[in-house]
Amino acid sequence: MRDVYIIGTGIHPWEGFSEKVFADFAAVAVNGALKDADMEWKKIQSIMAGIFIYGGNAGHLAGQYLESIFGETGIPVVNVYNACATGSAAIRMAYNSVAAGETDTALAFGADVSPKGFLTAKSDNAVQDRDVIRWKMTAMPNPVYWALECRKRMAKYDTTEQDLAQVKVLMSEYGSKNPDARFKKAYTVDEVMNSVYVCEPLRLFEICPVSTGAAAVILTANKELISKADKPVKINATTMGSSMYGDPTIRISAVSCPAVPEAPMLSESYSASRQAYEKSGIGPQDVDVLELPDNSSWHYLVYLEVCGFCKEGEADKMLRDGETKIGGKLPVNPSGGFSSHGEALSAQAIWQVIECANQLRGRCAERQVENPKVAMAQTYGLMGNSGTTILSI
Amino acid sequence: MGNMKDMVARIPNLVDWSTGEVRLMSAKCNSCGTYFFPKEHYQHRPGCSREGVEDALLPNKGKLASYTIQHYPCPPPFKTERNITPYGIGLVEFEDEKIQVAGIITDTDLKSLKLGMEMETTTLTMFTNEEKQQVVTWAFRAVKQ
Repeated sequence: MRDVYIIGTGIHPWEGFSEKVFADFAAVAVNGALKDADMEWKKIQSIMAGIFIYGGNAGHLAGQYLESIFGETGIPVVNVYNACATGSAAIRMAYNSVAAGETDTALAFGADVSPKGFLTAKSDNAVQDRDVIRWKMTAMPNPVYWALECRKRMAKYDTTEQDLAQVKVLMSEYGSKNPDARFKKAYTVDEVMNSVYVCEPLRLFEICPVSTGAAAVILTANKELISKADKPVKINATTMGSSMYGDPTIRISAVSCPAVPEAPMLSESYSASRQAYEKSGIGPQDVDVLELPDNSSWHYLVYLEVCGFCKEGEADKMLRDGETKIGGKLPVNPSGGFSSHGEALSAQAIWQVIECANQLRGRCAERQVENPKVAMAQTYGLMGNSGTTILSI
Repeated sequence: MGNMKDMVARIPNLVDWSTGEVRLMSAKCNSCGTYFFPKEHYQHRPGCSREGVEDALLPNKGKLASYTIQHYPCPPPFKTERNITPYGIGLVEFEDEKIQVAGIITDTDLKSLKLGMEMETTTLTMFTNEEKQQVVTWAFRAVKQ
């Protein structure tokens, strides 16, 4: 396998519901990535596109729609969906194509336009699509799943409602310094604690909404492109994981889970991260900056444990001791996280990788971590989807 | 629970009340021992031959393994005639079957919820259909002491 570098990244800033079409957002991100890499479109040799599931035929063929905007060149274009880890899948395929020598330069992108209101069932066939059962019979929007796990955690460890609020305080501070974030107001613990419960123990400011956004990265093994790029970032590993039998987590869209654990919780993310550690030879102790999927404050805590940054039940202490702050031992989510962005399904994993690359390239201004050399982006998607990307400079 | 004869589940093959008790319709794999709910949510142990899956009703009673109180209305396709918000959602553990199942909590003071408390499976009427039947889902309620 060849060494693969990120030479260009682009983002369309995150925002709320939009009347614009997803391809326009995608084009902004891809244009940014081409400019950053200082290269012309015709040098892209493959496109790995995240599927935009609410976009009908266009969204399912996001790569073809994007290609036609910049000019069709006949290259392989593959569209992929892995729930909220969709962007991880696109990056992994781009990486594998370049690392294996199939192509020299590949584009991975995702663009998502928030549907108005809530995410909900996408079919009406309860036998084929079990998601229909949870919506019609158990009335469980996604945050309910997080609340059920959070309640278990609070009973098992000493996680408090103040801890959950403190996560938002940190995320909002960083989000306020990120021009690409959707939410830019910094909150105090009291303000978070005074926000309404959505599903106890989680409050409105402790869960993330759905958003509109787009992100694109250009990967290459082409020496000429690498040498002219501004601080190319090496991809040490980019992996995906699925769930393991006996994982006790109640997965979004399921209505049952095992009562006796035979695997780690969030085993898809355990699996993706361990694959990445093994492939890269880099462990959690080597990571200088981490982007994790803080869909809720519970995720922020549990992901530190699932990915091996501390033992089970110790994440609260890391948070309280300030270890996860910028300037701490392990700065977490200097981007402001999903808390400050919201989820843009196919784009968010790519945006996390871009934040990591930007940190390594020293481009993060007010929220810059001091001189990081290794960064890790961790994603999470419903029903057993996860991706880990480890980067270095 | 109402008159059971006039009840229909909104989605079939999930909840049974033919024995007089309300019970969830699970399936058990006799090869790997795993219980599934719903029945079609196969979760075989890797390497299992997947032979001998048979229907199994879960017990009527279990223990509350987790819960939340949902403070805003669930969007469609969830549908109820009356507003049930705020409502409880419980994760109830059936110990022998080694499975936890989620469902709406009904007929219970939400302030009284405690992890480990005994819960029983019941039905919750969501709306009445054109045939004047009560359309129900499964739900859980605290066992009265």
